[in-house]
Amino acid sequence: MTGAVYTETVVHLAPEAFASDVPYQVVIVTLENGSRTTGRVLGERVAIDDRVEQVETRDGVPFFRKIL
Amino acid sequence: MRPVAVVAAGKTPFGAFPDRDLRSLAVEAGDKCLKNGHVSPSQVEAFYLGNFSGPSFTGQNHLAPYISTALGIRDVPATRFEAACASGGSAFFHAFSAVASGLYDCVLVAGVEKMTSQPTARVTEILAGAGDCSGEIKAGSTFPSLFAMIARRHMYQYGTTREDLAAVAVKNHANGALNPDAHMRKVITMDQALSARPVAEPLHLYDCSLISDGAAAVLLMPLDRAGDFTDKPVRILGVAQASDFVALDQKADITTFPAVRRAAQKAYEMAGVGPRDIQFAEVHDCFTIAEIVAIEDLGFVDRGCGGPYESSGATARDGEKPINATGGLKSKGHPVGATGVAQICDIVAQLRCEAGAMQLKRHSLGLAQNLGGSGASCVVSIIGNA
Repeated sequence: MTGAVYTETVVHLAPEAFASDVPYQVVIVTLENGSRTTGRVLGERVAIDDRVEQVETRDGVPFFRKIL
Repeated sequence: MRPVAVVAAGKTPFGAFPDRDLRSLAVEAGDKCLKNGHVSPSQVEAFYLGNFSGPSFTGQNHLAPYISTALGIRDVPATRFEAACASGGSAFFHAFSAVASGLYDCVLVAGVEKMTSQPTARVTEILAGAGDCSGEIKAGSTFPSLFAMIARRHMYQYGTTREDLAAVAVKNHANGALNPDAHMRKVITMDQALSARPVAEPLHLYDCSLISDGAAAVLLMPLDRAGDFTDKPVRILGVAQASDFVALDQKADITTFPAVRRAAQKAYEMAGVGPRDIQFAEVHDCFTIAEIVAIEDLGFVDRGCGGPYESSGATARDGEKPINATGGLKSKGHPVGATGVAQICDIVAQLRCEAGAMQLKRHSLGLAQNLGGSGASCVVSIIGNA
């Protein structure tokens, strides 16, 4: 699944469950069908309007990577 | 519906109080309020409590009768209201409804939160429970990160800058320095705000409100009885609560909160006033961006203009529209369940000319806006001299 970044943030202060991932990027992505979903970013950081592709799902959470 | 007055108010200072438990804070605020109104506990016909997450923060549940009985209030309905950070506002709205309808003649509303007994990481986790745990929170969102994503989008759509955000923090800290009950009475500079460590980009430390302990209470009665208890009754001219999606990714446009717009519209209609008539406001600045979005959604400025308006100084205590003259959640502190009730106490203090060093020049019509989560609940109250 692909889509465009609607908004994003890099998290520096996280609950214990995510503490080992800090800093990590959270994104809301507008998918091709127009719906939105919240996920994480792998690899290069993304900005609003960047095209991204869902590369995996972990425990129901979509992980996206920037389409270069 | 009959007119309703706030006849008394009382609150604790806000801060980190390691030797105080949740109940003692609520009882202190409730006692002060009853004494302020010269009302005995036996005259109270119902107790409405705003509290977000006492059970998670302290382990104690069944909080409303746990507190009301300690205040000496017996037998009457005692109920807790939860609407995330708008829990206090929600208790106030429902108490107003009960008095306005004629059901009760004397209702005590209290709000309380005891947060500092938990480490910051655990507090962050408990607060995240006000988001959608099946989606955004599971993905690693925290409350700062949800508002950070709102800020990013607001910057993208309207050109809002980090300096605009910092202007809110600098102003609210300057105001809070005049507030004897504020958690952090510390003036900060623009440079300090901009160079603080990041929490969730673009939000840095001074863009975020505080983790605090505290409580607040107000006493409501029909306006025609208020004169027997106070020579300074103030009238609740309009109050409304509205709701929206909990998850940020379900909202069409995250740079505006429809629940704030709906609650504000209803409250303005009820009060028969518009945004221009409001002389001062306490708004829910849980994060600096939240104050910018709030003043837009309340109609004080057009959409997208909140950032430059804050930077212009118009919202300072000597500006044309003073916002958060108490220091707001940013500096006064944010004991979640207490916040909405404390805002009412602060408006009442201005109306009665009892705000001390914080007293504003124009103080006859005030507005309080209390937001829950990332906009899923909102209560707007308009209060004026009776």
